[in-house]
Amino acid sequence: MIKRAGPHFILILFSASLLLPLLWVLRTSLTNKVSAYRIPPEWTEPIADNYIAIFTDQPFGTFFLNSLIVAVGSTAIALPLATMLAYAFCRFNTGGMPLRLTVLASQMLPPVILVLPLFSIFLTVGLINNHLGLMLAHVTINLPFLAWMLISFFEGDARIVEEAARVEGATRLQAFLFVAVPMAAPGIVAAGLLGLILSWNEFLYALVLSGKATATLPIGLSALETHRGVEIAMLAAATMFSITPVFVLLPFLKRYLIKGLALGAVK
Amino acid sequence: MAHIVLDKVTKSYAGGVTAVDAVDLEIRDGELMVLLGPSGCGKSTTLRMIAGLETISSGDLYIDGERVNEKDPRDRDLAIVFQNYALYPHMNVARNLGFGLKLRRVPPAEIERRVQETARMLGIEALLKRRPAQLSGGQRQRVALGRALVRQPRGFLLDEPLSNLDAQLRTTMRLELIKLHRQLGATIIHVTHDQLEAMTMGERICIMDGGKVVQVGPPADVYRNPASLFVAGFLASPPMNLLPAAVVGSDGGGLAVRVGATTLPLPEEYLQAYAGCRDRSVVLGVRPEDLHEAAPALPQITVAANAVEMVGPEVILVGTPEGLETEASARLSRAFRAEPGDRISLGVDMRQIHLFDPATGLAVPRPDLGFEPHRR
Repeated sequence: MIKRAGPHFILILFSASLLLPLLWVLRTSLTNKVSAYRIPPEWTEPIADNYIAIFTDQPFGTFFLNSLIVAVGSTAIALPLATMLAYAFCRFNTGGMPLRLTVLASQMLPPVILVLPLFSIFLTVGLINNHLGLMLAHVTINLPFLAWMLISFFEGDARIVEEAARVEGATRLQAFLFVAVPMAAPGIVAAGLLGLILSWNEFLYALVLSGKATATLPIGLSALETHRGVEIAMLAAATMFSITPVFVLLPFLKRYLIKGLALGAVK
Repeated sequence: MAHIVLDKVTKSYAGGVTAVDAVDLEIRDGELMVLLGPSGCGKSTTLRMIAGLETISSGDLYIDGERVNEKDPRDRDLAIVFQNYALYPHMNVARNLGFGLKLRRVPPAEIERRVQETARMLGIEALLKRRPAQLSGGQRQRVALGRALVRQPRGFLLDEPLSNLDAQLRTTMRLELIKLHRQLGATIIHVTHDQLEAMTMGERICIMDGGKVVQVGPPADVYRNPASLFVAGFLASPPMNLLPAAVVGSDGGGLAVRVGATTLPLPEEYLQAYAGCRDRSVVLGVRPEDLHEAAPALPQITVAANAVEMVGPEVILVGTPEGLETEASARLSRAFRAEPGDRISLGVDMRQIHLFDPATGLAVPRPDLGFEPHRR
């Protein structure tokens, strides 16, 4: 017990550093603007007013729907592409290491460098303030991450199993669809969840490329910092509302990632 | 069934590595051919080229007279069984077995019938609903075998299929494979690094080293007449003793082998064959079972015992012959007893010896007298 005190102490500190801000936000969301700022904090009866206000005074229902459409849409586009890209990297060594690194390198630039050219292009083709436009923009962010994440799921045993299928009578495409993809399924699900979360939380592209009708949750949150000051209690409620889906998805992400790692045990 | 011919088949990789170097090999219709060699000798690559999973850099591959170099694996009508079974982890056993048939658009009723029949033959009917992850190694191996059998292909390619099984199961499966081969009369190419497996299974063995075929022949022939030092040292356990020696003339116009401090007269039958080796250094090859204790009629060699290993049916004596650094082993009767350091006189059955040219590593050809009991 004494022996474990050290690690436990560090872990408790670490957990607290993660949890306390979140609990603070939760507490703020259940109070009003005035008591939210009071130091030292005082106990107030929890109220749900803020959670109602974000839907009545603010269009958070629309923001939520926009976020959902863009996240699901961009993942639906990026995931099949990333799967095929990862497969090509793995089996055919397409483009070799240079291409693999190039794909990742696009993510090493500050997004702000990419967002302006993208804005200019989208303006020309009429994709500003448009769900499809933002979806495509998010695909540019998701695709490299998802592809890199999926590469490892096509390596190892899958290769030999696929060879078996090809001798059995499968074409390359059949081997990909009926063997490689099902074997990588846990990884593909995990990558899909990651794609949803990345798109859900994305701010900069959404800020530049969306308009009033297509604004997503992060944009809605930032809108609560008005010139009249920060609607802190409402912001806290909106924040809690925005992060809930991610909280629901995270355990699945973890489970599928682990399942994917364990499935490698064909031997 | 398939008649497979490899004509100067070569696999070389970018960067100049040649994995398989101009292999000429004919696998007859219905034959069980074993490709044997240490890891990295090119045997698996050869098999994969036959399957169509590796491209052939140069040379030609013929199946039933047709050149198939560019043919897709699926169009070669062969089946392959891998060392790690490579079952489809997301399908149950029945679907694993039927997958190839389904791809070939066999009607579902026919698939069902053939899957049942194959499962019955291999004794895996009870497992049909299970997934590979729920099976033991031996069961998986049966399923992998079943998957190959169910399609009734014209040839089977087995890539070290028994290597992942434990010793006891390996022996059982080995016998079962031999039985299956007899039953089906199918052409089988079996790749292994296990010389015992090769000796017991193969109708013919093809021994490979460094991407080249070193010797091809029935197991008994290869065992009796190894073509090179490599084959002599690779087959059997313990392998043939290979001792530095020289051929010298002896009284009465005969020849003898001088090995360390011992001179062993060569039998008359070999005088002509070994005449060219006179006064030259050679490598003397003697199988451990051709060294006998208490055999006064045979030429004697004295060894200093280093270790005496009791292995059950026999005792393996490892010792250093007088005047040599190299160790030699002898398979002696189970009653044999000695302590390390003892000097032991062993009779050498000179009719079973081989001489190798140390420069080329090749055996010096000599008449094959067959195996006969030595004269005590």
